[in-house]
Amino acid sequence: MKFFKLPQQLVSLFILFFIIIVVFIIARRIFVPATFGVYGHYRASAIDTVKEQKINYAGAKACYECHDDIFETKSKSYHKDVSCEVCHGPSAKHVESGGDFAPEIPRQRDFCPVCHGYNPSRPTGFPQVIVAQHNPGKACISCHKPHDPTPPHTPESCSACHREIFSRKMVSHHYSLACTTCHTVPDEHLANPRLNQVGKPAAKEVCGQCHDKAAESDKEIPRVDIQTHGGRYLCWDCHYPHDPEVKT
Amino acid sequence: MFSGYIYPNEYELQWSLLIVLYPYLTGLVAGAFILASLERVFNVKALVVVYRLSLLTALAFLIVAPLPLLAHLGHPERALEMFLTPHLTSAMAMFGFVYAWYLLMVLLLEVWFDYRKDIVLWSRQKKGILRYIYLLMTLGVTDISEKAVRFDEKAGKFITIVGIPSAFLLHGYVGFIFGSVKANPWWSSVLMPIVFLFSAIVSGIAIVILIYIVTTLIRWKRPDMPCLNKLAEFLLYAMIIDFSLELLDFIHRLYESEESIHILSDLISNRLFISLIVTQIILGSLLPMAGIVLARFGRVHDEMRRILYFISAFLVQVGIFSIRWNVVIGGQLFSKSLRGLTVYKVELLGLEGLFMTFFLLMLPFVILYVLVKLLPPWTEPTHPA
Ligand code: HEC
Ligand code: HEC
Ligand code: HEC
Ligand code: HEC
Ligand code: HEC
Ligand code: HEC
Ligand code: HEC
Ligand code: HEC
Repeated sequence: MKFFKLPQQLVSLFILFFIIIVVFIIARRIFVPATFGVYGHYRASAIDTVKEQKINYAGAKACYECHDDIFETKSKSYHKDVSCEVCHGPSAKHVESGGDFAPEIPRQRDFCPVCHGYNPSRPTGFPQVIVAQHNPGKACISCHKPHDPTPPHTPESCSACHREIFSRKMVSHHYSLACTTCHTVPDEHLANPRLNQVGKPAAKEVCGQCHDKAAESDKEIPRVDIQTHGGRYLCWDCHYPHDPEVKT
Repeated sequence: MFSGYIYPNEYELQWSLLIVLYPYLTGLVAGAFILASLERVFNVKALVVVYRLSLLTALAFLIVAPLPLLAHLGHPERALEMFLTPHLTSAMAMFGFVYAWYLLMVLLLEVWFDYRKDIVLWSRQKKGILRYIYLLMTLGVTDISEKAVRFDEKAGKFITIVGIPSAFLLHGYVGFIFGSVKANPWWSSVLMPIVFLFSAIVSGIAIVILIYIVTTLIRWKRPDMPCLNKLAEFLLYAMIIDFSLELLDFIHRLYESEESIHILSDLISNRLFISLIVTQIILGSLLPMAGIVLARFGRVHDEMRRILYFISAFLVQVGIFSIRWNVVIGGQLFSKSLRGLTVYKVELLGLEGLFMTFFLLMLPFVILYVLVKLLPPWTEPTHPA
């Protein structure tokens, strides 16, 4: 009888791999934290570590206890959704101590543009200003009360809130057109936009008043036959009205 | 600078030059290994001369391959945690295992089996500290009887057969990491792993050509022409496949013409013009292909042929590096809003800068030098030159 004999190479390799595996297992024992995997793919005691961290924020309601006047004012203002500590910073110590450790007060002009500086990624209608042009040199709070920022008088132009559309239109072929050429805007929209919605044009004729073959408008304006041009689609299915382009 | 609209968190690129380097290096590993396996499994005899050299090249580059990733991490020491607490559903977290498998089970084993007999002999001949190093490397196996050597031979072949899919896995995996990013139209493509793989083979063969020519020069030997010719042929075939795959991918995108097509064509014509059209396609693909065709099939003198091979292989490296650049950097240059482009400025100093990249690019050659000193790979051609 001849027994199958493992070659010497394999024996050595097996020993080597056995050692590697043992080292691996020992390393796992030592280095993987004891509570790993109790709840999920993480160290369960991390939750306790996080819980032990100092609480810095008191929360939106905590201020009411002592500053109810400001709280009431703010909750009826445009800033009703902006929490006190967004502006005043973490104030847990202030609340616990009953009024010591005065929170910061952001009176400087560069603070409000964090939210109100012009940025095209902000949603439509979010009030934005170009800081360099909007009453430069004066603190924002000299005109706007931070706890009730209703503007001193309603804005005259749409650009205050629709900055992106405004800027885009300014450099387009339609730069000379006022917003109200196409939109009928109730005055209240300027003061209270979300409650007073503006209509959007619904029919081709809005564009036809200038672009139709028969329209009595400036000769420079390119003409199309609005009955046939574009078929049964609305003009703005193909041309963006605030920046019309011919080639798409 | 920026053009169009881009989200604030996209101004700055998160994946820097080092992440360009990483697929480049793993590509070289996979390519050099696949080249070595051609000799082993498919019996391409002309390649015997570079078999060991390409194995060592693969090993040298493999050792360096994870370093760019580590240097890119804020906490490199935490990389080990992916071994200790494996995360099975994260492709990125599985890298450690793909890498370890390839290093331990494929490359090191194959090198060991292939060199075992020589190591035993050296451990008997050499003196001093070297002797002990070789003794350690024998792992206590000193049997070099014919039977044992035959077993080495068989084991080596078996490992190579396992190794080919592993090499595909290693680099296909890198392509997968990019190809599976749904949100990025420049990356998201099922062809990505395959394109990566073939470009890896291309780069691997080209680096072996370069190293082979340089090392023979240094050793005052005459390069083995049949071997070089064979290498050049394989390089050409691989390049043709690679190029057609990329073309296919391109045409496919063009035909599908998804909403991202505008920003991507903007990307190509503005930001990637030099690195894609000029260095990747013209300098890195068309020119070297023409060079190889000319040198291989044209009537040129051997000396000229070698020079042409060398230049072509070098251009291929430039081209492949551009491919990695175009994938990694290109994929981050446009906004996910598909409305704007940002720019990438390469750092000079710093952990992710140009110098670091250069250092990591040179390191494999230093390692290769040590490996070659320790395990001389020179095999003289078996046929009359
Ligand atoms: C326990 C009562 C109490 C609570 C709760 C409380 N405060 Fe006060 N706060 C005070 C007192 C007292 C003063 C000092 C009044 C003064 O000097 O006129 C003060 C002053 C302030 C000041 C002005 C500091 C200054 O330098 O003039 C700010 C700002 C302020 N609190 C913010 C907050 C905010 C934000 C919260 C909620 C997170 C809050 N407080 C909750 C009692 C309280
Ligand atoms: C939009 C940012 C903002 C928010 C939100 C805000 N504050 Fe203020 N707060 C300010 C600024 C700016 C001043 C300084 C006003 C000044 O000096 O005229 C101030 C002043 C104060 C003062 C001290 C002066 C004063 O008017 O009595 C208190 C107290 C205060 N805030 C409490 C609160 C509390 C309580 C809330 C939440 C209900 C709150 N603030 C929300 C910006 C903010
Ligand atoms: C954390 C972000 C944030 C900060 C900081 C902030 N605001 Fe506001 N602000 C808002 C939001 C939200 C609204 C409500 C917008 C809406 O109604 O769509 C608003 C509305 C306004 C309005 C316009 C009301 C209108 O007519 O629509 C003014 C004016 C204003 N804030 C001034 C300020 C001033 C001044 C400061 C600095 C003291 C400031 N804001 C700081 C978020 C912020
Ligand atoms: C000189 C007074 C003054 C100063 C200073 C001032 N504003 Fe205004 N702001 C106004 C007036 C008046 C309006 C009304 C809109 C208009 O007429 O354009 C307005 C409008 C706004 C609006 C548009 C929202 C709306 O309802 O029209 C925002 C946002 C705003 N201001 C924020 C700021 C910020 C932020 C600062 C500080 C960088 C600032 N303001 C400084 C007077 C001022
Ligand atoms: C005080 C800020 C403000 C001013 C000033 C303002 N708007 Fe608006 N506008 C808004 C907001 C906020 C909305 C979004 C309302 C909503 O989504 O419910 C809106 C919505 C609209 C819409 C409808 C958008 C839609 O998707 O249905 C139109 C059109 C519009 N505004 C036109 C104008 C025009 C034209 C002017 C100038 C005459 C103007 N607005 C001035 C804040 C403003
Ligand atoms: C040439 C006519 C025209 C002019 C001028 C014009 N609009 Fe419009 N606007 C439209 C049409 C048409 C739509 C509807 C587009 C749609 O439904 O796709 C629209 C839609 C909008 C909307 C909805 C959001 C969007 O982008 O679709 C807002 C807000 C708006 N306009 C604001 C303005 C403001 C502010 C101005 C002045 C700066 C302005 N528009 C000038 C024709 C015009
Ligand atoms: C009050 C007149 C007026 C109205 C209403 C009007 N436009 Fe225009 N439009 C113009 C003017 C002025 C030009 C610029 C002509 C020039 O460039 O010389 C123009 C140019 C254009 C162009 C050509 C842009 C180019 O690239 O040459 C298009 C397309 C266009 N408008 C589409 C529209 C659409 C769609 C509407 C309806 C939503 C519309 N217009 C409503 C006045 C108007
Ligand atoms: C189906 C898409 C589509 C629709 C809908 C459409 N257009 Fe056009 N429009 C185009 C294209 C494409 C061109 C440029 C090619 C051409 O000259 O026919 C163009 C060109 C124009 C021009 C420039 C003509 C010139 O001579 O430069 C104007 C003005 C214009 N359109 C206005 C309109 C108006 C007003 C409407 C609504 C009645 C409208 N378009 C609807 C696709 C469309």
